[in-house]
Amino acid sequence: MSKHLRFVARTVMVQNDNVDAAYKVLNRVLSVDGVADAVRRKRYYEKPCRQRQRENYEACRRVYHSEMARKVSFISQTHRQDPWAGC
Amino acid sequence: MRSFAEYGNARIQQVQYLSSFPGQESSLRWEGKKFDELPIAHIKATYNNTHIHVTDSAGQYMARTSCGTEGFKNVKKSTPIAAQTAGISAAAKAQAKGVRFVRVLLKGLGPGRQSAVKGLTMGGLKVVSITDNTPVPHNGCRPRKARRI
Repeated sequence: MSKHLRFVARTVMVQNDNVDAAYKVLNRVLSVDGVADAVRRKRYYEKPCRQRQRENYEACRRVYHSEMARKVSFISQTHRQDPWAGC
Repeated sequence: MRSFAEYGNARIQQVQYLSSFPGQESSLRWEGKKFDELPIAHIKATYNNTHIHVTDSAGQYMARTSCGTEGFKNVKKSTPIAAQTAGISAAAKAQAKGVRFVRVLLKGLGPGRQSAVKGLTMGGLKVVSITDNTPVPHNGCRPRKARRI
């Protein structure tokens, strides 16, 4: 990262001397951006066949979870159309 | 209920505190120093040990501690408590050289990552910002083979 500007990316300022909150924010940013997972994965070599399997599995998992969340939110919705409108 | 104008002003102040993009001048000063002139605490948190180097903004050495220099050996070096003691002693050495505010550079995902920062604050240094500088290769060197336990 020597070619990048320092202290620009992956930086969190500490507000009101609350270092723990700043560290939590930093952790959340890293995990949401996938940086923490990438570092952990690159610790040991991942063979190309294993990488393809993992990508496939993650894609399927993403589709399944989004569909399930959609169904759950549809069933648990409270504002529904009045089925007997006009009667 | 705060008025609309008060809420707007608070948001503007928040954004002004946070946004100092490179190239823009910010009015934040710590002890009269700008952000770029503050000393830096490099914390390298490996899986077996934690090193803490305090340098000034140019990179000149000011203080150096690690879990090993604190008297821990072997497996006890890779604990958060050892990292905390290393942080406290590094803060003490830096305070002896006249350092008050410091910005932290974290490298590595080890057990001592958070507790080293906590040790620095417990030792008396004021942490201004936390940066993560973990090296992420864009598929450079091939790491060692996967462990089979």
